[in-house]
Amino acid sequence: MTSLDRTVAVLGAGTMGSGIATVAARAGYRTLIHDLDSGRVERGVSTVRGFLGKSVELGKLTEAEGAEAAARINGTTDLKDLAEAGVVIEAIYEDLAAKQELFGELDGIVGKDTLFHTNTSTLSVTAIAAGSSSPERVVGTHYCNPAPLMKLVEVAEGRHTASWAHEATLEFLASVGKTTVVTKDRPGFIVNRFLIPWENSCINALEAGLGTRESIDTAVTGALGHPMGPFRLLDVVGLDIHQQVATRLYEQLRDPRFFPPPMVARMVAAGDLGRKTGRGFYTYDDNRLFGS
Amino acid sequence: MSEIQRVAVLGFGTMGAGIVQVVAQSGREVTVLETENARIEAGLATLRDFLAGGVARGKLTERQRDEVLARVRPVTDVAALAESELVIEAVTERADVKHELLASVAEVVSGDALIVTNTSALSVTDLAGAVPDPHRFAGLHFFNPAPIMKVVEVVRALQSGPGVVDRLVAFVESIGKDPVVVKDRPGFLVNHLLIPYLNDVIAEYDSELASAEDLDTAMRLGLGYKLGPLELLDLIGLDVHKHATESAYEATLDPRFAPPPLLSQMVAAGYHGNKNGRGFRTSEEGSQ
Repeated sequence: MTSLDRTVAVLGAGTMGSGIATVAARAGYRTLIHDLDSGRVERGVSTVRGFLGKSVELGKLTEAEGAEAAARINGTTDLKDLAEAGVVIEAIYEDLAAKQELFGELDGIVGKDTLFHTNTSTLSVTAIAAGSSSPERVVGTHYCNPAPLMKLVEVAEGRHTASWAHEATLEFLASVGKTTVVTKDRPGFIVNRFLIPWENSCINALEAGLGTRESIDTAVTGALGHPMGPFRLLDVVGLDIHQQVATRLYEQLRDPRFFPPPMVARMVAAGDLGRKTGRGFYTYDDNRLFGS
Repeated sequence: MSEIQRVAVLGFGTMGAGIVQVVAQSGREVTVLETENARIEAGLATLRDFLAGGVARGKLTERQRDEVLARVRPVTDVAALAESELVIEAVTERADVKHELLASVAEVVSGDALIVTNTSALSVTDLAGAVPDPHRFAGLHFFNPAPIMKVVEVVRALQSGPGVVDRLVAFVESIGKDPVVVKDRPGFLVNHLLIPYLNDVIAEYDSELASAEDLDTAMRLGLGYKLGPLELLDLIGLDVHKHATESAYEATLDPRFAPPPLLSQMVAAGYHGNKNGRGFRTSEEGSQ
């Protein structure tokens, strides 16, 4: 499926969906973004085109490359338009039943050899695959946010994933310029598996008075070489997102290291969600993300 | 209070040599105490290696290197430390050795000299008990390699006097480092956070979550870390990490600090990481 004559379909026109669509279009694939209403589809398509335009401004793409990639992006609200897709990448909200239902519907629309990728971050690939009548073609491919800039994709097979689907997935991800790591269908895959307890332990250290938000951020960046301290990072991720991911992992693992410390619930209740609300562990004069 | 000028370092091993370099580069004279001349020679060789690296990377001119070396005064007699205003202990991580040495140093230095330990695994409050007036005692925890790592933890012992931490913070800033004031708890701040994370990765590697290379790649690319956890363990030394996590476990009985079985087996088999070419990543890539 690495040939560029196959269409890539992305389900879900949110941040991750439009980011992944950007990756596919930039690599030369005809790309279709699907969402339930046309307003969301239009916003997703214009997010992709906006990103590509920015890349041209920054000199990352030539004018021609940017224009060609932008021309490869289209949107639809009709699943039947995805019939030609060689890869379907599901990036909708984290709801198991909704994801299962989508894959089930697509079974009757796309060809037998079409790959089903799920970008889930906290659900089981195996459980999502159970929604399809051919779970052997379902593979977990977890992108990092922002998808067009982050090289990493975590690849996880479900219980019934076939080796052809796994191999074709690695080829596809290489063809869009991603670096893959192969992991298991376990909660959090690799990065969130270690990041969530790490962030929680930093929050606990803060609440225990082992340091201040500034001293802990300074210690972590200065002594461990992390690009951002834990509290700056939590403010970028969003406290609400951290709470959701941590809670979902805790519910599956029942390991208290994953449960969000009480400070997180207080911050969410107060509306201090991080950069996007202007206040989290730190306060911000503006609400721009990633300094863009 | 006048700024600290005359500094002594106890122990000329890897950490001692790194601290000596940092202090000497700040323009201060440094007296470094070792037990015998052979160990002084070894320490000087380590120091010259560090400095040569600095010159090679263009961080230091040859003239600066010579000036740094000229400020270092190695001694084997504790009486030679009498004029020191700050003594930094960086000898082997054994409480009995440190207690005996700190007591003998306290006898020769003046009453207002500060005495600090660079321990990473022992209690600063316990070591403070080795000196007769422990209000002048605290921890100054440098990270390895000391010349490169920006952060120094200033560890407040229960006995540390009110002005002592402030003087040490000013001293750390004056040698170009970022001070972080921490409590005397097992692992202080950084290792308190780092050790459970590293243990967690070892356990998941053992449970075949992913290959060693993929675990490191995921954490480097996913979070922008300079080093993945398993290559970091190889760099730290598996024996060193095992000692650190066991010490924290004994002090807390917190299972997050219990050495993972695979770590214990690797150390038992003599796999110490980069220093002997056998570790999580070194054997697959050839020794480094």
